[in-house]
Amino acid sequence: MKNIKIEVKDLSLYYGEKKALKEISLEIPRNKVTALIGPSGCGKSTFLRCINRMNDLIPDVKITGQMLVEGIDIYDKNVDVVNIRKKIGMVFQKSNPFPKSIYENIAYGPKINGIKDKNELDEIVETSLRQAAIWDEVKDRLGDSAMGLSGGQQQRLCIARTLAVSPDIILMDEPASALDPISTSKIEELVHELKEQYTIIIVTHNMQQAARTSDYTAFFYLGELIEIGKTNAIFTKPEQKQTEDYITGRFG
Amino acid sequence: MTHFEIELERLKNEIIKIGNLAETQVVESVKALLSEPIEGKEVKKTESKIDKLDVKIDEICQSIFALQQPVASDLRFIMAAMQISNEIERIGDLAVSVIKRAKNIKDKHDLIAKFDIGDLAKKVELITMKTNECYLTRDEITIGEVFILNSTIKKLGDDAIDGIIGEMKSHSKVVVSGTNLVIVLKHLERISEHCTNIAEYVHFMVNAKIIKHDKHEDLNL
Repeated sequence: MKNIKIEVKDLSLYYGEKKALKEISLEIPRNKVTALIGPSGCGKSTFLRCINRMNDLIPDVKITGQMLVEGIDIYDKNVDVVNIRKKIGMVFQKSNPFPKSIYENIAYGPKINGIKDKNELDEIVETSLRQAAIWDEVKDRLGDSAMGLSGGQQQRLCIARTLAVSPDIILMDEPASALDPISTSKIEELVHELKEQYTIIIVTHNMQQAARTSDYTAFFYLGELIEIGKTNAIFTKPEQKQTEDYITGRFG
Repeated sequence: MTHFEIELERLKNEIIKIGNLAETQVVESVKALLSEPIEGKEVKKTESKIDKLDVKIDEICQSIFALQQPVASDLRFIMAAMQISNEIERIGDLAVSVIKRAKNIKDKHDLIAKFDIGDLAKKVELITMKTNECYLTRDEITIGEVFILNSTIKKLGDDAIDGIIGEMKSHSKVVVSGTNLVIVLKHLERISEHCTNIAEYVHFMVNAKIIKHDKHEDLNL
């Protein structure tokens, strides 16, 4: 893998005594989509949350090893966690728009970051909504409540909200698992388009979604990284038997 | 066994079934060529069974693709099944062509004996059997045996055809029989090539490597 965006070295995570991630080492390439797959409890979401230090919010969590983003260890004590989260956006399984207007949902982050100019905010809102492929659907009702949008629209709005603060990396935790096939397909198409500008890491239980959307796939099991490789190779000839058993549904 | 595994097992059994039917047709075609005329009714019945199975296998594969989205070894197994079934159906058709043509070759026994066609025909029978065996066992040694047999059959066939052409040049009365025999030999060679293709798909199924345009000697089987 060339052009590495994130380099993980011997990363382990403990919830109290329990070791939930075991010496994970991997590289995530820039401007590619990397899918994290594995059965429930394997550590893939925990790992995803390590990338923007979301696990900091959980008591009793201890992390060892390094998470280098652009060569900088984000767990270094001199690193500002707010800046990290600005650069590393996150989209969750359940869409979570603010109970505000569509416009305000997108403008909220930039405003907090100090942007006050109305024209500049208007531009950010339009660009973000366009990038998230929802502009045409909402451009005539930007003042309406975001809560009135459909589930699929809300999720794309949340992606637009993430884009509005100009991140480098987008983390997606099961972003389409609660959506119908048409909305899912829109999100997947969006992932394809966004990778031109962003590095995307996506956790999914849907194997076909991982196969369709990602360039690289990492398989986690019981807190260990079993295999990472090009998605095409993982889904045609995985190197590890455990990976083969999982993707062919013969696990356990 | 999961529902999906039962489907895969069913597909495998249908491939074994169609393979055995084609083998029967080849055995009958060799018999028709080397010894006595054979019962046409039975051949037709088997041909029709092969055709029906070929379609059935395509339908099973289509359904697995649509409903199960197979990956990795399962994907290769189903891709191979579709190809193999197609190859087997052609083997069946060629065997029937041999049977039909062999019936009308007058004085064929002299030419057969003179150019050792009996040995070639028995090897075609053997390669068909070995091909079915390699699908069943997925054994690399058997795959290698199929490749070697194919080379031998090709050489024997080319030699016999050269000999028959020479014979036709010097004895015009064997031209009709000779021409028919050359066509039969070409059919037998084609059967052997289809067997080789099947062995290549079995190799793909097991090793995930497409070798259909590679030199078999380089494979170290």
